[in-house]
Amino acid sequence: MSEQIREQVSAFLDGELPDSETELLLKRLTRDGELRESFGRYALIGEALRGGGSQILTRGFASRVSLAIDGEPVQAAGREHTARPARWWRPLAGVTVAAGVATVAIVALQQRAISPSVNPAAPNTAQMAQNSALPLRASAGTQSPVRGGGAPREALSYTVPAASADAPSAIAPARLTNYIFAHSKYSSGLGQRGMLADLLIEDDEPQLIPITRSAQPPPPAPDARVAP
Amino acid sequence: MTQPRLAFAYWLAPCALFGALLAAVPKPASGADDPREWLQRMNKALATRNYDGTFFHISGGRVETMRIVHRVRSGRVSERLQSLDGSGREFVRANGELTCYLPDQRTVLVEPRQDRGPFLGTLPQFDSTVKDFYRIEALPPTHILGRPAKVIAVNPKDQFRFGYRLWLDETTAMPLKTQLCDSRGQVIEQIFFARLDMPENIPDSDLAPTVHTDGMRWVRQGPSQDNASSALAAYRASQLPPGFRLTVQGAQTLGDASTPASHLVYSDGLATVSVFVEEQKASAPGEAAAADSQPQAPMQGLARVGSGYAFSTVVQGHQVTAVGEVPAQTVEFIAHSVKLYSSDEIPRH
Repeated sequence: MSEQIREQVSAFLDGELPDSETELLLKRLTRDGELRESFGRYALIGEALRGGGSQILTRGFASRVSLAIDGEPVQAAGREHTARPARWWRPLAGVTVAAGVATVAIVALQQRAISPSVNPAAPNTAQMAQNSALPLRASAGTQSPVRGGGAPREALSYTVPAASADAPSAIAPARLTNYIFAHSKYSSGLGQRGMLADLLIEDDEPQLIPITRSAQPPPPAPDARVAP
Repeated sequence: MTQPRLAFAYWLAPCALFGALLAAVPKPASGADDPREWLQRMNKALATRNYDGTFFHISGGRVETMRIVHRVRSGRVSERLQSLDGSGREFVRANGELTCYLPDQRTVLVEPRQDRGPFLGTLPQFDSTVKDFYRIEALPPTHILGRPAKVIAVNPKDQFRFGYRLWLDETTAMPLKTQLCDSRGQVIEQIFFARLDMPENIPDSDLAPTVHTDGMRWVRQGPSQDNASSALAAYRASQLPPGFRLTVQGAQTLGDASTPASHLVYSDGLATVSVFVEEQKASAPGEAAAADSQPQAPMQGLARVGSGYAFSTVVQGHQVTAVGEVPAQTVEFIAHSVKLYSSDEIPRH
């Protein structure tokens, strides 16, 4: 991305790009897939810097990362509900990011955090309320949020859980599509837009990638991870 | 000559003073600057105005360019959402049907669809229930696309739901930028308009699909039905995250399935989760699951769907799937709590 375009993108994301230039930038983005990717990373970085926080991985990005590393799509793994969730990623070797912001961008990929309280077999509402007030365990234990661009070093490491041989079938993409359509009828919220837009998006890999957790989540200790 | 000018000046001074006083008086909560008022203006604009815009859909570093065309003419809504980035997928809503052109999958999906909310989505009216679980606030105004914009935040109070930040055009209340955020305010997905026109008239040609459908497979999703089999209809969530309650209960034929699934809708007033309960049976050995439209092989697991999640599990021999624009733990929680009730014990909520 040239310096000029970088400035344009930055101004656009800050809402300060004049309309005439916006039109040009849009045309360029529509034509140029590479620029679009850079733009996406830039937006991600911008949010991480501005919001001081991290951003959840989406399947498209995650699967591309996984492909870049393993040459194969994310695989379903066995799951056990009591387990702390784990979605770990190996070092993001395949991802190139503009120098100087690389650290922030990679930290911006966070593992999904699910409170262990979600199993409704035991909890009552009071317990849930209590749990929801606490920071999510996974993120508190393994990754500090980015503050002022200061990136914790250990957050650079991610590992992928091994796929279990007897994994149950994940949700079939075709059926998932049916669920989303049926659901979107009753969902008038802005979230519906996200789900429908998602169906519009072409993915390099299977349309909907299952996210599963390993039966035995990797320990969060720093030495369990691979340095980038 | 000087007399009229003086008179004008005398008249002007009290007006200016009155104006200044007005500005100093704190506005009532229901005034024009109430963020909830702005959200309602946005809803109205999205549903009732003509617009044609190009936006970026940015999610986890991935950017897609899309075009939205929305027309309201004599009370009838037509709408087209198109990916400009290569997949060539398009959604067209017209005449009570939603048609999804998926050229990369050689498939066209058609579903009867009432003219509900626009593709870009709206927020429901805010009642007291919503206020218990979301905090709505106005952030300092800014400029976007060279236009002055109001910034409204809808913050979830716990981690069972997502929140929004919206940049609304001060003139039209159209959302020029929206962000979907988790309970910690971290951005999950965002939309930036790069161009947004609001023309008086939109020609039919702008709403016609550009996809050639030669050789494509047409799949017609069945209409909603009132009843599923009594066994399926006796499933309910036994526990729900705070604020969620049953809002719709019915049946839905999914894809080309032979029997309808039970469809339950749970909502906290803003976020919505659907629960589908279906017949489920393992395929016989050697039998291709795809050949049998239903029952199908059991499924288990979590999937990300755009800004939301789906979670599927098997409960007492039936496939239970929760889908919604909510965090993963919410769909998991609800799906895991689903159980079969005897007919006299079915909860009403």
